[in-house]
Parts: sequence; C-alpha cells; structure tokens
Amino acid sequence: MLHLLKKLLSGISPLLLLIRQRFLILQLLRRDIVGRTRGTLLGWLWLIAQPALQVIAFWFLLDIVFQMRSPGQVRYLNYFLIGMLPWLYLSEVLNRSINVLNEFAALYQRSRFPVAVLPLLPMVMGLLIYLPVYAGVAVYFQDGLAGLKAIAIMLLLFVWVIPFAYLLSVFGLFVREVRQVFPFFLTMIMYVTPILYAPDALPESVRWALAFNPIADLMALIQGWINGLPVEPGNWVRPLALWLLLATPAWVLFRRSEPHMREVL
Amino acid sequence: MSVITLVNVSKSYRTYAHPWDRLKEVITHRSYHQDHQVLKPLSISIGEGHVVGLVGRNGAGKSTLLKLIAGTLLPTTGTVTTQGQVAALLELGAGFHPEMSGRENVYLGAAVAGLSREFIESRYEDIVQFTGLAEAMDRPVKTYSSGMTARLAFAVAMAVEPEILILDETLSVGDGAFARRSFERIIDFKSTGKTLLFCSHSMYQVESICDRVLWINDGMVMMDGDPSEVVSAYTEFLTGQSEPPNPTHSSDSVPSASTSSGGTRIMDVKVFVDGYESKPLTIESGSSKLSIATRFKAPDNLPLPSIGIVLVGGNGWPIASASSLDDALRFTRNPEGIYQATVTFPRAPLLKGNYWINLFLMCEQGIHFYERAERVAEFTVVQNTREVGLVSLNRSWKTG
Repeated sequence: MLHLLKKLLSGISPLLLLIRQRFLILQLLRRDIVGRTRGTLLGWLWLIAQPALQVIAFWFLLDIVFQMRSPGQVRYLNYFLIGMLPWLYLSEVLNRSINVLNEFAALYQRSRFPVAVLPLLPMVMGLLIYLPVYAGVAVYFQDGLAGLKAIAIMLLLFVWVIPFAYLLSVFGLFVREVRQVFPFFLTMIMYVTPILYAPDALPESVRWALAFNPIADLMALIQGWINGLPVEPGNWVRPLALWLLLATPAWVLFRRSEPHMREVL
Repeated sequence: MSVITLVNVSKSYRTYAHPWDRLKEVITHRSYHQDHQVLKPLSISIGEGHVVGLVGRNGAGKSTLLKLIAGTLLPTTGTVTTQGQVAALLELGAGFHPEMSGRENVYLGAAVAGLSREFIESRYEDIVQFTGLAEAMDRPVKTYSSGMTARLAFAVAMAVEPEILILDETLSVGDGAFARRSFERIIDFKSTGKTLLFCSHSMYQVESICDRVLWINDGMVMMDGDPSEVVSAYTEFLTGQSEPPNPTHSSDSVPSASTSSGGTRIMDVKVFVDGYESKPLTIESGSSKLSIATRFKAPDNLPLPSIGIVLVGGNGWPIASASSLDDALRFTRNPEGIYQATVTFPRAPLLKGNYWINLFLMCEQGIHFYERAERVAEFTVVQNTREVGLVSLNRSWKTG
C-alpha cells in the first residue's frame, strides 16, 4: 500500500527535482541563453523578441488581412493573443523535449549527471520567455487581475506539460522517427485547436471532436478565465484526468529508461 | 577500510534489432536485446589510500570498469559501492560553453559536478589561482587555447576535493608548467592518503606510483596484486601476442613528442659508436661502444629533471633501459639552465638486428614526462658469431 502510494506520488517528483537542483538548472538556463543570444545586438532580448515577431506576423495575417471575427464581444486580437501565447509556450516545450536528451548529451554521456533535470529545461526556459510577455499582454488588453490570471495560467501549464515533456524526451531519444514527424504533428494540433479561430467557427458536425483534443480544453479554460467565454465541466475534467493518468507513468518510464540513455548515444 | 567495493559486478552492452525495441523492453520488461558482455562478474575491494593501476589491452574492459566505479555507467549485475566524493577525470569540461566566460564556466562546471553555489563561491579564488588564468576569467572560453581550457576544467574537477580520484591514461592535464602542477596535484593524492585509480598503457608509470595493479583481460581480472609481479606477468603475456605494445612510428631524429614540458625540454640528442657520430649507425656486437648524449634545458623554478633511455628492438619491444634516477646521476644547477648527460654502453652485448633509441625527460621522481623523444636514432647490430636472441649474456663453460 505504502509502495503504491509512493509510486503515485512520484508523479510530482519533477517538481521536487526542480527545487533540489535549482542551482544546476539556473546554470544550464544561463548556458542556453548565452548559447542562443551572445554576440547579437539585442542579446537576451531576442528570447522575447522572437515570439513577439511571430505573434505580430499572425496578427497581421489574421486581423488585418483576413479580418477574422472573434466570438462574442471579445476583440479578435485579444482572443488570439490570449490563446496563442500559451500555445506557443506548449509547442516550444514539447518540440524541444523531443530532442533535449540529445541536445545535452555531452553533459551526461561520460559524466555523473542527474539526467532527469534535462526535460525541465525547456519548460523553465519557455516560462522565462512567455510568462512576462503573456502577463504584459493580459494587463495591456484588460487589467492587473487579468495579468495575475495570466501568470497563474502559465504556471499551471508548466505543471500540466511535465508528463508530456518526460514522455517525449524518452520517445525522442529511443525512436528517432518521432523527432522527424513531431513538428508536423504539432502544426496539425494547432490547426485543429480553436486558437486562430473561435470554437463556434467549426461546423456543428465536427465540434464533438474537440472533446478528444486536450489542448482545445485548455484553450477553452484559458479563454473562459480571462475573456469570460463559456466553459464546460468537461474542459476541466479531461485535461486533469489525462495529467493524473500520465504523471506517474511518465516519471517511472523516464527513470527506467535512464540506464539505457548513455548506451543509446 | 574499503572505499570502493564491487560485488559480482558485470557489464553488458545491449544491442537491438530496431531502435524502438529498446523502448519496448523498457515498457514491457520483456527482453528484446542481445548481450555483448564487456565485463564478466567480478568482486573487488579497494582500501582507503591505495593507488591502484589498471592494465590491459585496448578493449579489455578497463575504461568500463572505471566508468562503473565513477558512476557514469550502471552495472548490468551486482553492486558498486563507493565511500566519499568521487572525481573522474574522464571527460574534462563536460558542459563548458565556448561563448561563456571562464568565470561563468567555473560555475557551470561546478553545478554539473554537483557542487552547490555556496561551495563554489568559497572556492572560486582558489580555483582561479590554481589555473593561473586570473586575467582571462572574464573572456569567453572560445578565446582560450586548448591547454587553458584543460587547466580550467581540471581546476573545477579537482575543486570537488574528492576522496577517490579516477584517471584514464593521463597523470597530468594541460600544457606547459601547468602540466607539472596538475601532476603534482594528482600525486599529492598519494601522500594525503586518498584513493587513486588509473588505467595506463605505461607500465613504467604504473610500477612507479601504484601499490596495487589489476590486470584486466577480456572483461576478467587476470591478476591482482603487487605491481612488479602483475606488470611482469602482463608484459610476458603481451610478448606472446602478435601486436607489440605501444609501437612508436616516428622516424624523426629529433624529439617527436613534446608533452607538457613547462620550460624543461630536450635540446638535442646525439648517438656515437666508438666515439664517432655516423649514419647509418652500425654496431659490432660485443665490441662497439654505444654512447647517447643529450643536452636539455631546465628552468630555475623546478627541481632538476631525470633522464630515461630505452633501447627498443625492431619489433617494438623494449630491450634495455637506463635511468639517471636509478643510476643516482646528479646534475649541478648552473646559471644558463642548460645541462648535458651522456650514457655509455661499453661492448654493447646486443645481438644482430635493428634497434632504435627512445629518450625521455622526466621529473625528479621519474614519473611525469616533460618530453619524449621517440626513435631519436636507429642502429644496426652486426655479429660474427652464431648466437641467436637479443643479447649475449656473460657466461663461462666447464667441461666434465
């Protein structure tokens, strides 16, 4: 019984690891930032500037060129940014998780190193980039309370994405095809999720399929909380159930895979 | 007290028909692999303060054993237990980023080595002082030479203050005077009662510093014990193999490998037969006088070095050697810092064949190599007797 309880609680191990290894994670984040931005004119500002430019490109296309309309009284740009920024965060985390064990292989290939911190890096890095931008956008379009909600949303997404990041890091290392096909898969998810458009823009006949897309549930929750759009109980239940279902197995699978990781490389 | 204990430890590398078979095995716990055993079950106990050398051919399993003890590999069976902090100089500077400054990389390297911020902050000045890179610490590491990077990495690795130090093939790191300092730091382990483990192909170094040697062959411990006994058995084993040990290929008559001289260097080497320096060199077995003369430079700030000379047979096997340290030759310090020594083998008792000469400039203890001059000269021995073998032994006959 105690063993089973321990196993179940191991789902929160990544969070404990984050606290325990904060100095190491901080140093690795610094390494990552320096690697990406040193030598550029704007330096670390590029970390924020890059997603900002991406957002501007989407906005120009959808709001100015196509003049997309949004649901209810919410201005389209507001609707779009409130959904798009969390999606960019999630997609960046998932996309980097696939490759993170290869990317940092030099750290653990011939050295003693806590490999389990590696999938946390894209998550924390993404948070550093998107949290301030997201909070700023929420405050700009609404008020301080929306800014606080935006911070809470990003932190909750951080926790929610943990099992997926750990699973993908293992799959990305062991099954290389996953690395090739995953960017396409992410793009498809974005198109079938009401991020660029409102859920009611979908034909009635296919709207039921959103129940099988956990990202669509997350988007409904986010839009509901910040923009006051309708939320259904299923939007809470499904992502939560999925997280509870995956948290412990993802961690257990990662730990079981650790002895194989150096050999794969 | 035992600080390293291995009980029934074995290591197999697994091969899979398809990459996803590995994942299937992890998930289902069903076996999809084929084992390639590199280390057969072994049990070893190493006590505190021991200096243990691992010898064996390439691929024998030495490095795997070191990695298992260092914790970078997990054993397939059995348990590895270590007492105290372990530092393995197997991969120096893991995680260093060339765009980051020396200072940033010290913190990064320390974090990767498992040190806390408080610890590394308290040691930072010592690390910088040891590297001698104070003025370069705020420059990106990409502007460092490879020797400077090695210095920094070594200093960070040693900041751990380990109880157990693991080395692979090297007893010094970096270049110039730093190599000598890193060597001293490593050798200090011996005097401070900490445990040192290293694998090497240099039987000379193994015998010089180890008090126990393990000979590993095909993943098994063939012999474990006194260095001279194990090294003798291993060398004898190698002589039965087709490949000569560490053959050298340089054909230069000048120093062929300058390894971390630190200002101590060979200036020239001359070989005389019966007082004449001629080419090609031909020696008459049992009658010619072979002399090897060298000049070297040594700075004031280091103890005066020692010289080693090895006569190597045409198949790459060492035939005979001489060391200024063993022969109690003492140099007298002079203001120019240039010294010379000549060793003479009167009536060289070598038998017919081709030979060459390797010359080594070593530290005063005869362990650390400042410079190696391999194959500085080649000579041919001719004879007018029917003796066979490598040397002609002094002998007497009696009839009865």
